[in-house]
Amino acid sequence: MQDQQAAIITHRRQTISELETPVLQVWEGILALPVIGSLDTARTQQMNETLLQSIVETGSEIVILDITGVPLVDTAVAKHLLETITAARLLGAEVMLVGLSPRIALTLVHLGLDLGDVITRTTMAKGLELAFDRLGLRVVSRHAAPGAADRSPNPA
Amino acid sequence: MARVPIIQLDDLLIVTILEDIRDHDALALQQDLVEVLQRVSARGVLLDMSVVETIDSFLGRLLSEIAIGARLLGAATVVVGIQPALAITLVELGLELKGIHTALNPRKGMILLRRLIDGESGPGWSRAR
Repeated sequence: MQDQQAAIITHRRQTISELETPVLQVWEGILALPVIGSLDTARTQQMNETLLQSIVETGSEIVILDITGVPLVDTAVAKHLLETITAARLLGAEVMLVGLSPRIALTLVHLGLDLGDVITRTTMAKGLELAFDRLGLRVVSRHAAPGAADRSPNPA
Repeated sequence: MARVPIIQLDDLLIVTILEDIRDHDALALQQDLVEVLQRVSARGVLLDMSVVETIDSFLGRLLSEIAIGARLLGAATVVVGIQPALAITLVELGLELKGIHTALNPRKGMILLRRLIDGESGPGWSRAR
C-alpha cells in the first residue's frame, strides 16, 4: 500500500517536472525557456539536459531564459541559472535572462551577484527584440510600410 | 598513441580532437599547434570536439590553454561541436572555458571565426569577453 503511494508520488513528481520545463522554439534560431516555480538541483539538471538537446536539434544560436515565473532567486537558484547559461554557451548559444522583477534584481544585488556578463532584460518581449537584432532580423508594422509617410502628415 | 593532425586551410587551422585522446597526445597537440601557428601565421583555429564524449579536468584546462596560446600568437580560436553531456561535465568541473568562443557546428564556427578575424569591431559579437 505504501509502496503504491510512493510510486504514485514519484510518478506525479516526474509529470510535474516534465511540465515545468518546456523548451519552445519561438523563431528559427531562437529558443525560449520559461521557468516556472522554484529551481532546485534536480530540476536544473533536467532543464539543462532538455535545453542542450534542443539547442543541438534545432541548431539555435540564442536562448531566452524567462524567469518571470520564478518567485524567489537566492544564491542557490542563481548558481543553477548560471550553470545553465554556461552550459548553453559552451555549445555556442547565447543566453539572455529575461523576466527579472525589480525585487529579484534588488535581491541579486544584495547577495552580491551581479551575474557578470549575462545579458538581462526585464521582459520576454525585450529579449526577443534583442534576439532578432542579433540575428539581423527586424519586426516592422505593415501599416508603417512605404507609402505611409505620404499619407500621414510629417511626424517630424 | 596518435598525433592529432592539424589541417591548414588558407589562413585557418582545423583540428579535430579524437574521442580517445590521451594526455600526452593533447600536450603534443598544444606544442604542435603553437609551432604551426608561428610558422604559417594563421589567423584562426577551429577546434572540433564533436566526437569527444568525455573530458577530464586536465583536457579541459588544456583546451583553455590552447586557446589562450593561440590568441597570444594572434589567432582567434573557436571550439565547435561540444556535445550536451560534455557541456554539463565541463560546467560541473567548473571549467567554463572563459575567453573561448564556441559554436554549435563547424559551419557556424567558420562564420564566427571569419567574423572574429575580419571585423573585430563587429556588432556585439564579443561574446567570450
